[in-house]
Amino acid sequence: MARMELRNVRKSYGSVEVLRDIDLDIDDGEFIVLVGPSGCGKSTLLRMIAGLEPISGGDFLIDGERMNDVRPRDRDIAMVFQSYALYPHMDVARNMGFSMEIRGAPAEERARRVAEAARTLGLDTLLQRLPKELSGGQRQRVAMGRAIIRDPRAFLFDEPLSNLDAALRVEMRLEIARLHQRLGTTMIYVTHDQVEALTLADRIVVLDGGDIQQVGSPLDLYERPANRFVARFIGSPTMNVVPATGAAGGVRLADGARIALPHLGDAGNAVELGIRPEHIDVVGAGAGDLEATAELVEHLGSDTNVYAQVDGLGPMMVRVHGNIAARAGDRLGLKIQARNAHVFAADGTALRRAERSA
Amino acid sequence: MNVRTPTTVAPGETRARSPLYWRYAVEPFVYLSPAVILITLVMLVPLVVGISYSFQSIAILNPLKTGWVGFDNYAALWSDGKFWTALGNTLWWTVASVTLQFGLGLGLALLLNRHFHFRRIVQALVFLPWAVPTFLSALTWAWLFNPVIGPIPHWLAALGILAEPENILGDPDLAMWGPIAANVWFGIPFFAITLLAALQSIPGDLYEAAEMDGASAWQCFTKITLPFLAPMIAITVMLRTIWIANFADLIFVMTGGGPANATQILSSYVFTTAFRKLDFGYASAIAVALLGLLLVYAAILLKIRQKFVKI
Repeated sequence: MARMELRNVRKSYGSVEVLRDIDLDIDDGEFIVLVGPSGCGKSTLLRMIAGLEPISGGDFLIDGERMNDVRPRDRDIAMVFQSYALYPHMDVARNMGFSMEIRGAPAEERARRVAEAARTLGLDTLLQRLPKELSGGQRQRVAMGRAIIRDPRAFLFDEPLSNLDAALRVEMRLEIARLHQRLGTTMIYVTHDQVEALTLADRIVVLDGGDIQQVGSPLDLYERPANRFVARFIGSPTMNVVPATGAAGGVRLADGARIALPHLGDAGNAVELGIRPEHIDVVGAGAGDLEATAELVEHLGSDTNVYAQVDGLGPMMVRVHGNIAARAGDRLGLKIQARNAHVFAADGTALRRAERSA
Repeated sequence: MNVRTPTTVAPGETRARSPLYWRYAVEPFVYLSPAVILITLVMLVPLVVGISYSFQSIAILNPLKTGWVGFDNYAALWSDGKFWTALGNTLWWTVASVTLQFGLGLGLALLLNRHFHFRRIVQALVFLPWAVPTFLSALTWAWLFNPVIGPIPHWLAALGILAEPENILGDPDLAMWGPIAANVWFGIPFFAITLLAALQSIPGDLYEAAEMDGASAWQCFTKITLPFLAPMIAITVMLRTIWIANFADLIFVMTGGGPANATQILSSYVFTTAFRKLDFGYASAIAVALLGLLLVYAAILLKIRQKFVKI
């Protein structure tokens, strides 16, 4: 069981700062996902928690105990690597039992624990195989088994699914979710895939450029992004952001359309309006807030994606639930769902977030 | 547009028309022939000639007794005390040289695999002994061991290892250490460089995983580094053993096999028999015996490798 605290944690290589003043409290049993574009420092942060990377400044505590100078082996944390890092010269059983072998645990206890973990992961029949004789998904399971068997106080995952194909990724994602439900152990998971983040996390930490952009539950980040970066990073397809000017009781878009948005601050400022593709309705030409031409229409069955060229504004993406009859070249009216609209100041911070869904 | 393309050939199909017999039975061997001819001329023919010499009497100093003698040379070998001395010396020389070269080479490789300033330059410098001509290093080492001009006997005496600064190369009990020392100096770079290459191919995240699993530095070495190096160790130890067993240059220059045959190894015995006594038949018999022993050794080592190396 582990409660983790990061206090002003910094990381720099020479004069290059990769992480600045990271403050984060992780509750016991929480599933935290660190997400961000490549180079944002998320893997570095995870490796600092693991102890594989020295902490340049600040404090890192587990259960109130300062860990900065504690060796990885003494932190009692298990890690699943992106490459799995299985020992290629050891069979599955020895790979999984390696930590117990190191600690000199008796052979029969080791065999029992390995068999137990192998059963829950569906590896029972593969125990005598070498890693090279396994498929990607099986290797992934062995890597997880190696972590589980230690019964650590926290698990770290470093992009564990990025080497798997799409179908297997979904399957292993569920498996990791189940594992967390069953063990209830603190887990920290690094990914650049927002779907993994949204589906797995209790709380998501969005990192960019070495700073925490926002910490919150998946719905929080989706509905109430703190800034334009988070708004565009979370959610698929990406949020549309168009320039606008603050006006009384709303914003005025570049094409002259006025969107009524209650509770908005000063008028007259240059701002940006953010609206997710799924929060725009397609109506008849002339009946909406905006006039547009459909450039490309994708029929996905459950949804229809419309890539629209809005008069005087530029491209915008619209996602409509179900099927609509629109075809490329059609003239459309677009109606913006005002309660789901976001407004960002010139520096990107959110001035108005979507109204809380009931 | 492309008027030169015959319309009868589909795109991607070969335009060469050759009978199947030519293409599958003869053509590959035409391409192989330079290598096959070279290997035959340079290796197989001399091997067969050498083996056939071992069943003949070919002594230049005794030209009247030339001809096939069956196993006479081998019978003489069996009762030749100098052969057995040389065989024992060969074992001692080879085992001591390979062990020391390997041990020190591995240590050096581990040191060179760490991060430090000017690492590339140091790595290049380490390879230098390998580039020195053998007879030069042999002469230099012979001088170093010479108590009149060399420092080593005096240092050893000062350290109390030798009673007095005598000529090590002149003492039948100690003489072998001279060529062994030179050989170790000469051969460490080979092990260091090959093992360093193998070390650098070990994925770094394995050590991180082991660190997370709680392994100490020593456990990382024995449970990850050594198993990973095993294939390279097996092949380099085998190669070096064969080379060193055949490596008479240092001994020939430093001691000439003396004093009193104390440093005579099989290959130097072959050399002196063939080119000093000019007895090619008997020299060939010794060489074939050495070849047989090395083949047995290589077979055993390859068997062991098959059993223990899993990667």
